[in-house]
Amino acid sequence: MRPVRRFWSRLSAWVWRRRNEDRLRAEVEEHLAMQTAEYIRDGLTPVEARRQAVLKFGAVEALKEDYRDQRGLPVMETLIQDTRQAIRRLRKSPAFTITTVATLALGIGATTSIFTLVHAVIFKSLAVAKPSELYRVGKETHCCVWGGYNQGDEFSIFSYDLYKHLRDNTKGFRELAAFQAGSWLIGVRRVGGTQVAQSLPGEFVSGNYFGMLGIQAQVGRTISTADDQSGATPVALMSYRLWTQKYNADFAVIGSVFSLNGKPFIIVGVTPAAFFGETLRSNPPDLFMPIATEPLIHSDGSLLRPPSTHWLDIIGRIEPGANAASIEAQMRVALKQWLRSHWGDMDENARLNLPQQTLYLSPGGAGITSMREAFEHWLQILMMVSGVVLLIVCANVANLMLVRGIERRQQTSLSVALGARPGRMVRQALTESVLLSLVGGTLGLLVASGVTSLILHFAFTNEAGVTSGALTTSISAPILAFAFAVSLITGIAFGIAPAWMAARVDPIEALRGAKRSTSRSGSLARKALVVMQAALSLVLLSASGLLTAALTNLESQDFGFEHEGRTVANIDPQLAGYKASQLSSLYQRIRESFTGIPGVSSVALCGYSPLSGDSWNDGIYVDGRPAPGPKDDNSSSFVRLTPGFLDTLGSPVLKGRGITEEDTSGSTHVAVVNEAFVKKFLKGEDPIGKRVGRSEIGASRQYEIVGVVKDVRYLTYNLDKPVGAFFYMPEAQYDTFPNRAFTEGDVRSHFLHDIVIRMRPGAVLNVADVRRALAAVDPNLPVISIRTMREQVSAQFTQQRLLARLTSFFGILSLVLASIGLYGVTAYNAGRRVNEIGVRMALGAGQRQVIALVLRGALGLVLLGLFVGVPMTLAAGRFLGSQVVRDEPLQPESQLVVRDRAGSRGGYVGVHSGVARQSHFALGSAQGGVRT
Amino acid sequence: MLKTLDVLGALHGYGIARRIEQISGDLLTLNQGTLYPVLLKLEQEGSIASDWGASENNRKARFYRLTKDGRKQLQAETRDWEQTAAIIERFFAVKAEDLK
Repeated sequence: MRPVRRFWSRLSAWVWRRRNEDRLRAEVEEHLAMQTAEYIRDGLTPVEARRQAVLKFGAVEALKEDYRDQRGLPVMETLIQDTRQAIRRLRKSPAFTITTVATLALGIGATTSIFTLVHAVIFKSLAVAKPSELYRVGKETHCCVWGGYNQGDEFSIFSYDLYKHLRDNTKGFRELAAFQAGSWLIGVRRVGGTQVAQSLPGEFVSGNYFGMLGIQAQVGRTISTADDQSGATPVALMSYRLWTQKYNADFAVIGSVFSLNGKPFIIVGVTPAAFFGETLRSNPPDLFMPIATEPLIHSDGSLLRPPSTHWLDIIGRIEPGANAASIEAQMRVALKQWLRSHWGDMDENARLNLPQQTLYLSPGGAGITSMREAFEHWLQILMMVSGVVLLIVCANVANLMLVRGIERRQQTSLSVALGARPGRMVRQALTESVLLSLVGGTLGLLVASGVTSLILHFAFTNEAGVTSGALTTSISAPILAFAFAVSLITGIAFGIAPAWMAARVDPIEALRGAKRSTSRSGSLARKALVVMQAALSLVLLSASGLLTAALTNLESQDFGFEHEGRTVANIDPQLAGYKASQLSSLYQRIRESFTGIPGVSSVALCGYSPLSGDSWNDGIYVDGRPAPGPKDDNSSSFVRLTPGFLDTLGSPVLKGRGITEEDTSGSTHVAVVNEAFVKKFLKGEDPIGKRVGRSEIGASRQYEIVGVVKDVRYLTYNLDKPVGAFFYMPEAQYDTFPNRAFTEGDVRSHFLHDIVIRMRPGAVLNVADVRRALAAVDPNLPVISIRTMREQVSAQFTQQRLLARLTSFFGILSLVLASIGLYGVTAYNAGRRVNEIGVRMALGAGQRQVIALVLRGALGLVLLGLFVGVPMTLAAGRFLGSQVVRDEPLQPESQLVVRDRAGSRGGYVGVHSGVARQSHFALGSAQGGVRT
Repeated sequence: MLKTLDVLGALHGYGIARRIEQISGDLLTLNQGTLYPVLLKLEQEGSIASDWGASENNRKARFYRLTKDGRKQLQAETRDWEQTAAIIERFFAVKAEDLK
């Protein structure tokens, strides 16, 4: 208690310093007066009495010093004194201060901006009540629709029927909510308004979804359980983003009727501003609708009823104190029960695999984190790179400070000679460096916010054009704390060496002339710093060279089709309310209308175009062969397309023919396969005329293979692996399967999304012409996006490009810093050796020899740096090789020719892009229409 | 110092210094100045309080007095000291034959 009281009174004394100083003076004066009076009474003369009194009292100044130390907070006082002195000193050398602060701002800014991204993507929880109580069912991310009763390692995506079963048969969850895995575009138009329909991402959620998350509507109300009943009035909740950006926060929107895919929905409320749905993604949903309304939106191919069509994710809030492990065990039992109750509906493989089917609970406080998984990797690399830059910055600034410290040596030794304690000298030097780093850090925050928004702009540009707000990168408390901590650590890191040198100054130096100094201490430290900088720069530069080369390889690989002169227009007939029976004639009309655009040489439609990020996937059954076993991989991707597509795309037919006008609904069902398909299923046979089928063994005679085409890089994941099996089917042919669910599922593959337009050489496509041509077919059919094939291809490599560019930028930055450091040391050493050089020249050394002498020192440092850097570069190359390029680690002998080596590699790619996670699940005997 | 204040009541700095000299029989002649930082520390700890008042020859002087807390502390310290002194006393009292 007593020390605390003392601290408070000292603190207040420190604040009211003035009054106490007067008090001491008055008291001392009084004391002396009394003592003097007493001596006078004893018979001394007044002058002598005063002298004796003062003598007896002791040194007044020392007392004052002591008294002050007792009274205030000496630590604070010296801190303020040191800070004042540091500011004075820094102001006297503006060039030094500006260089240092700018260097620090760049280093701290780069690190902070990367940390901002890391924080937004990796550490943040959902903006919901008590996120720690949320648990997700499933670990991996499945998207977006999965068919059948077999999900490989774990069930992580669920049908509506299975969700209801789990919800009703599991205790321990206060609420278990389901929502659509992935969001789809919905055609949105305000009824009675003049706006045309726009396509916006929407998501179906269960009635208890908002209650479970603890989210209140910003305006109006959220969706309730009563809304999520078949037959209830269709309602929808609008995102705050959409409400403010497109409807000017108009309160009349709430309660008004909107047309969603042509069906009337009442908007009942607006989500809170900070809520972006449960999944971290670049295009968060703008509309939330009850799951029960799904059949209204998707009139054909509804997902709601089939028990084996899995399209929902599940997150629940457990009862406080409930044990997640026991809930998990309960749910596993419930899952097995449900699977057994559908025994009759299962195929042989699913029955064999039933014992292995299981599920896991994983913490759901951060929501669905597929984006985290996709980005974690390159954020880690960037974090490391920016850390290296920060190290170089530290080394550089330390170097400047050392030189400065040596210049100030005389002053320092004078202070020491006058009685300054070494501790105080260290503190002074450290105060100066921390002050510099804090100023640099403050400016660094500005740099960081700029760099972050730049990165976001490049990495997360939304295709729909609406600004994505899911990643908030505003400066928040954790970011500030991080920047402050980094600044402080930086300040201490680069200040420690100069401070240490300041403490070791010999007072005798003050008596000597500065130039006469015999001590060479410090030059070793400076040289070591330069060597370190050179080494680290080498690491960064070769890393950036490696990444750039890998990117160039990716972009220049053989994609199996032509990029030039092709444009892709994205549409969604389902948004405009088309039924399956109307599709063929719609596609015919689109093709006719587009062919009329000036300069167009051919037009064709396909389900999804190459590298557009989507395709279908199914299990393949070859006629006359037994069904593959439960562990066999018989999957292949496919799309449906209109005649002339392969020509329009520029994908050569190697054998047989492509899909033509002769392939109509009445003719033999045909398929055109790629080389990888032949290799996988019909190795060593002539594929032409062979019959294959998909989905189930009973359909194995479904298609006749009529042609083989070159492998086309279609999928946006596994870009580092050889192209997988793929086949094309005519849009006009509808398949019938023994299992009715598959027949219904097949309908959805007939909704084609991409129009590929090929221009004549030299002709340029006018975007307005495209819109006009489509409007001529159906004014209600919106163009979702138009981009050239080149853009579509390069969009796959946005992350890699950003990574390569940032690393290059950091590499160049580090090189510049290292050069400055080298210059500083060389110039300083040359300056110190002026006398020596003069003597040498007087003794007959030529100018050339003197230059060689100085350069030898500098080159020696650089060479030593490279020498030290090579092993580090090898390690970094091995790391990048295993992490980014996912290839064998770089071989040591190739390291010094990184560019050449990387340049000679074939086509492969590193970082998974986008929603690539489901690739793992495309393996195994997939059945049903699996949309990946 | 606390004891001085306890015995004599409120006193100014000079008075305290004189009193310490007198009691110690001028054996302890400290630099009188060192008194003030100690007084300040005690005041900060709340053992003593001070006020301006008039000295015997009508000069303005700062008077220090013991607070309730200070009295408690004095008692505690006295007890501690007596104990310590008693222990030390015993050590000195011990003669070699006592231990046999």
